Amino acid sequence: MQRAARSRARLARVRWRRVLLWRLNLQARVSLNIAGLLIVVMLITVGVADYGLRLYAYSIAQRDIAAGTGLVERNLASRQDEMRSAAQVVARDFGFREAFALNDRRTLESALTSLAGRAGAPLAMVVSLDGTATANPGSTPIDGQAMLAALNAGRNGGIVRTGRTLSLAVAAPIELPDLAGWLVLARPLGQRDLDQLAGLSGLPIEAQAADKARLDPDLAGQAVGSIDHHDGRDGDQLVRMSALPSLDATLQPRLILRYPLASATEAYRSLRMDLAAIAMVAVLMGVLLGSRLTRGILQPLGRLAMATAAMARGEMTRVEPRGRDELASLARSFNVMVDAIEERERRITHAWLHDGLTNLPNRRFFQEKLDRAVGRRGPDSRILVALLDIDDLSLINDTMGHAAGDALLLKFADLLQRTVPGAKVCRFGSDEFGLMLENLSGDTDLSALVDDLARKLAIEIDIAGQVIPLSVGFGVAVCPDDAQDTGTMLKNAELALGRAKADGKRGYRFFEATLDEAASRRRQLEIDLRNAVRNGEFELHFQPLFFPAQSRVKGFEALLRWDHPRRGRVSPAEFIPIAEHSGLIIPISEWVIREACRHAIGWPDAIGVAVNISASHFRVPGLVPCVINALSHSGLAPERLELEITEGVFISNFDSTLDTLRQLRALGVRIALDDFGTGYSSLSYLRAFPFDKVKIDQSFVRDLSTDASARAVVRAITALADALGMETLGEGVEDVAQYDALICEGCSMIQGYLISRPVPGSEVGAILRKWDQNRSGRRVG
Amino acid sequence: MLFSMVSRLPSDSLRKAAFAFGCLLATSATEPRHLGVQVFNQRGLPLEGAVVEIARPAGDDRAVVFPGRSAMAQRNETFVPGTLIVPAGATVAFPNLDTVRHSIYSFSRIARFQIDLYGADQTRSRQFSVPGTVALGCHIHDKMRGYLRVVTTPYAARTDLNGMADIANLPAGRYAVTVWHPLGMGRDGEWHGTIVLDEGHANRLTIETR
Repeated sequence: MQRAARSRARLARVRWRRVLLWRLNLQARVSLNIAGLLIVVMLITVGVADYGLRLYAYSIAQRDIAAGTGLVERNLASRQDEMRSAAQVVARDFGFREAFALNDRRTLESALTSLAGRAGAPLAMVVSLDGTATANPGSTPIDGQAMLAALNAGRNGGIVRTGRTLSLAVAAPIELPDLAGWLVLARPLGQRDLDQLAGLSGLPIEAQAADKARLDPDLAGQAVGSIDHHDGRDGDQLVRMSALPSLDATLQPRLILRYPLASATEAYRSLRMDLAAIAMVAVLMGVLLGSRLTRGILQPLGRLAMATAAMARGEMTRVEPRGRDELASLARSFNVMVDAIEERERRITHAWLHDGLTNLPNRRFFQEKLDRAVGRRGPDSRILVALLDIDDLSLINDTMGHAAGDALLLKFADLLQRTVPGAKVCRFGSDEFGLMLENLSGDTDLSALVDDLARKLAIEIDIAGQVIPLSVGFGVAVCPDDAQDTGTMLKNAELALGRAKADGKRGYRFFEATLDEAASRRRQLEIDLRNAVRNGEFELHFQPLFFPAQSRVKGFEALLRWDHPRRGRVSPAEFIPIAEHSGLIIPISEWVIREACRHAIGWPDAIGVAVNISASHFRVPGLVPCVINALSHSGLAPERLELEITEGVFISNFDSTLDTLRQLRALGVRIALDDFGTGYSSLSYLRAFPFDKVKIDQSFVRDLSTDASARAVVRAITALADALGMETLGEGVEDVAQYDALICEGCSMIQGYLISRPVPGSEVGAILRKWDQNRSGRRVG
Repeated sequence: MLFSMVSRLPSDSLRKAAFAFGCLLATSATEPRHLGVQVFNQRGLPLEGAVVEIARPAGDDRAVVFPGRSAMAQRNETFVPGTLIVPAGATVAFPNLDTVRHSIYSFSRIARFQIDLYGADQTRSRQFSVPGTVALGCHIHDKMRGYLRVVTTPYAARTDLNGMADIANLPAGRYAVTVWHPLGMGRDGEWHGTIVLDEGHANRLTIETR
């Protein structure tokens, strides 16, 4: 309880101190410190000086009082000498001695009276050897017996007691011729006499003569010859005590001299005042100097602090450096720092809003610009946005290197800027560019404009000495026709671009509302596709692969079917791209491999199964383990499984694809090249890997009956495949004419509706049985 | 005879030896007898220049006679001898043996006088009839002191350096004694007492002086 109260008190104290410190600004603190220091120094100085002066005054007073004592004592002695010589003259006078010898009292008394008058001493007396005294009548006699001892000892002067007062006395021996007595003269030692004696010194001292027995108790203790310090009623004083010679055995006379110290120090009082005045002036000047000095420091610091605060708010301010001192250098450094920050900020902003390679605005900046353009668009004006995509940029990167790809991008950026001077151009991503034209009037022919653009972009570009035809697809959206806001506009332009790409390369499309519908249908399909994998909505159908030489079915190609719960059957052409795009193709593909193997194990040993593998599956690891898993799980012999791939698998990464294929081949799995004759149809692929089968694209099969060149292509492919030891298969065979032509040109296998449409797994047995019955004589027909 | 011879001896040691010899004689011979009295002051020091006077016993009629001349000369500004014992009624001469003049005076009760200045080789004389002490001074020379002791008894002697006074012709016995000294504390510088004189016995007296 007590401790809590104590700690609370301490806390309050600390807080108060902190408040006090914070309240006082630096200037006041510095001034206060200087003032405090000066005050302390000045106090010490004044104190020491005062002490020294006091000490000096004290020693002066001591010297004065000693001198004064000497003076008074000498004066007393000279008075005594005066009296003594008078007494001696009388004591030697024959008549006086005769009168004394005769013991003629009356004569003696009259002689003493006349002597007293002559010597100016109120008392004149004779003391005989036995101490009897005879004095001039009317005077206060002295006790002769009391003086006897001193007189016998030969003293010839000193203080005696006359009644209540002290007197200065001298004695002269009376010799007849032997000593018969003494003549004593005495004069009272009054205060007036002492004052007069003290006054002779010219010093402020007071003299007093008194018997020791009658002194004040505090004075009685003081030793003879010493100087003491007393606190008197009239202030401090020095008191010197000295002994006076005594003629009276019962008397110890003392001479007391007093010296008031106030009078000694008085002379220095004005000096002390002067010192105090000097100290005050010094403190004032110190405070002024300190405040001036701190103002010199704090004003530039204050300007710097304000500039820093402004910087924190985001304003780039600078401080004017004044003078040549450290603060000016600090101000200059500050300015340099502000410049550097500004420059960096500018660069960051630029990097934030621009593309590093082409230095064009990026998507962010483009959106901002578009936002502003939409915001300030007039009621009649229109804004056109085009999203452009360079085809096959990745192919150029792969085959010619990234430097070539970058060079292409730079040239394209340059071309774009030159082609449409008023347009704002930006780079969205790797091969995507954006273009905006604003302030287009309502009657501008946008189609012509876009046509013109497409035509101007269809040129050839020289990259590292190689001429490449530029292939650009783009989608166009117009505000306010297609959209009112930036987001929608960009989305629509993107849809239009997607559509343009889907339609084929080197084209452009304006946005149409149907595109939006198609896009939303795709998004819905993507969602449904995820569910389909989980819900097992997929099914495999099988289409027989016919071997005319033996007139029998040699295997089946597994084809994926999706029975959508609401839409019914969805075409693979529609959902496979979506699956590819969303990455769902991998689990679907793995399901297909497992399911195909599961079906095939139920078939006769000679019947194989072929599965289409997406190019995407080669870009991720896991294809080989998946195949091994499916084979081991089903127990299917590896040579009964055939994987069909397209040339596209080689495009992204040739080496790793080749590696994967070799691993699959090592398992014993057969590899077929699908859709051969379209796309790149690079013969180098045929050389790179020994495919087991080449499937001739159905576009050639379709044209076999009408186009002689198609027939030539087929012939060339079969000849090539034969030479490389590969089987050939004709796809999409629908009639007998095609069948005959393919057989005629050397194609070893046939697939198509002529043989059978794809059938569910349950009908595979029926097909096999049918063709077993037919095998004996019947031909296909 | 012997006394005068002794008094004329020049040196102290010889005088002491002679005195010892005298004492020896006194103890061995019946007539005349010499009795010694030694005087000390209160501090125990031998007192020189004191006069020891023993009162005449009853029936004694010996004439008061002292050896030497009754004269107090002044030589070298000093009274010589400093202390002179004379019988009452004697006339004392004051011969001036100096080249300067002197003026002798006395304030003593028994004889107050003043002799005006007199020159060298002049003598003044004066009779002293009352026993007592006469202190002599000189107006010219304050330092000069001389004393006359006027006595009525023949048994008086002055002490020497050893404080020793030699009293002759007195039988052993008990006597009243008076000792005077210029610094004696008693009235008129006298001390009164009794003394038992015994042959072969040291007679010591102690008196107070200033």
